[in-house]
Amino acid sequence: MSTLLEVINLRKEFGGVLAVNDNNFIVEEGSRVGIIGPNGAGKTTSFNMISGAFKPTSGKIIFQGKEIQGLKPHKVSRLGIGRTFQNVRAFQSLTVYDHILTGILAHNLKLIPSKEQYEMADYILEITNLDKMRTSVVGDLTIALQRKIELATALATKPTLLLLDENMAGLTYVEINETLELLRKVNKEMGITLIVVEHIMKVIMELCEKIIVLNYGTKIAEGPPQEVANNKEVIEAYLGEESEYA
Amino acid sequence: MGDLTVKPDLVTRKTPWKKLILPGIILLVLLLAPSFTSEYVIYVAVLAVIYAILAGSYDLTTGYAGPLTFCHGAFWGIGAYASALLTLKAGLPFWLAFPISGILVFIFAFIIGYPALKLKGHYFAVTTFFFGYFVYLVILNSAKLTGGPMGLRGIQAPEGFLGLNFASLTGSYYLILFFAVVFLGFLYFLVHSGFGRMLIAIRENEDLAEATGINTALLKVLAFSLGAGIAGLTGSLFAHFFRLLHPTTFAWMTSEMIVIMALVGGLGTLIGPIIGAFIVTFILEIMRFAPEFRFIIWSLALIIILLVEPAGLMGIVRKLQRRKR
Repeated sequence: MSTLLEVINLRKEFGGVLAVNDNNFIVEEGSRVGIIGPNGAGKTTSFNMISGAFKPTSGKIIFQGKEIQGLKPHKVSRLGIGRTFQNVRAFQSLTVYDHILTGILAHNLKLIPSKEQYEMADYILEITNLDKMRTSVVGDLTIALQRKIELATALATKPTLLLLDENMAGLTYVEINETLELLRKVNKEMGITLIVVEHIMKVIMELCEKIIVLNYGTKIAEGPPQEVANNKEVIEAYLGEESEYA
Repeated sequence: MGDLTVKPDLVTRKTPWKKLILPGIILLVLLLAPSFTSEYVIYVAVLAVIYAILAGSYDLTTGYAGPLTFCHGAFWGIGAYASALLTLKAGLPFWLAFPISGILVFIFAFIIGYPALKLKGHYFAVTTFFFGYFVYLVILNSAKLTGGPMGLRGIQAPEGFLGLNFASLTGSYYLILFFAVVFLGFLYFLVHSGFGRMLIAIRENEDLAEATGINTALLKVLAFSLGAGIAGLTGSLFAHFFRLLHPTTFAWMTSEMIVIMALVGGLGTLIGPIIGAFIVTFILEIMRFAPEFRFIIWSLALIIILLVEPAGLMGIVRKLQRRKR
């Protein structure tokens, strides 16, 4: 497997607050990577830098051999990095179908959408199991469904790399399993590399091949799920230092 | 999860023939108007049609792309004065001055809009308000060029061709009607095209639109300048129809009226602002018997309308449609 995304000494300061501290990591093509860490660990900030919403203070982000740090979000998206947001965002007044078609048109704007683009929208609706509610207005749907639509719209842009920021927060057990199944399908069949930020450990442990653990902006561990779960530093970051309670 | 009942798509459902009934009736009445009404009514109708184009093109920016603007009347004024001056001072024929004034306003709006649209929400709205006022002051005070408060006189009617004569009232009336259909048809195509979808996406959620790969900054400026360009062309038509320009026509009140027309009809629907323009123009005309009170009465009416239905007339229509189903 070759390297798809490489992050080198990525750093972000907000005024005097250090949000991300010179982090390095590599994401292999076709892999499923999880980023975990307590609140304020810099997970979303890292996402925002990769997707172009924030400009890094210093450091490099290399995607498919190209430096992308500081590019505008729409340019990053067009290079093949899709994302979803921690707080669900949607084009509320559109129908589900139009919502997804918007994602398709965003990368290849045609005044009149082509037959292929309509077919692509149908295909996305089908694989995400949203077909039944294609004519529903997005704003009328539950948050769980809106998250799914947001994910489907990101898929519609045909990304190589998909950044999912707590896409499963607030979902029921059944919904989580459904989304997990979809993500595995997306990864295996469409060959999309996934980076997932998630607080639900079940998702991370079941889905990811590699986990990166951040704490106060610094990477404290990296490796396969089981190894990370037993890492002493990781346990300390989540549960506090043993000595305090000993 | 799959048990959700399928709701009809009210936003983009394709029912063109149904949507075309009301505009069709309006157009038919306007086409036949010269044969059964007085000259006075024709003048009012021209104003209504011109406002309809202005409110429709205004809707492209504010209704579809989102940013609230208060300077549409200024673009209309720039177009009117540009066209009048191009014919009067540079001696160009109307048929050249007309497109040039539209292009000029488009470029002008692009240059203004590009930096200004980096501002968000109210900050941008206030900027456009002062820009509109600035344009009015420039027109008012450039007396040597624009005639200042004396106005600009001696503007010629569009040159006729192929036996068509646009100097007569009926002739120029049909000319304006023709371009109204062309411009509004163009806007209708635009808002239903991929471009229109992108604008709606930007209005609904700019962050998501940008993350999805939409060049939000460019598309917003394009919507702003295209709307302005159409207002500029409308200004040119206006100048050569009334053949007399006065700065107060393009003062802030005009921009405000366009906003109100769009609000009354319902922003982001295109047909709403067009109908709103007709309603507002005719109501204000009917209320001419009480010139001191008409704006007070009208303001009260507006407050009531917006309290009852903030989405305007089209909002009421959509609610009724929803209830029927």
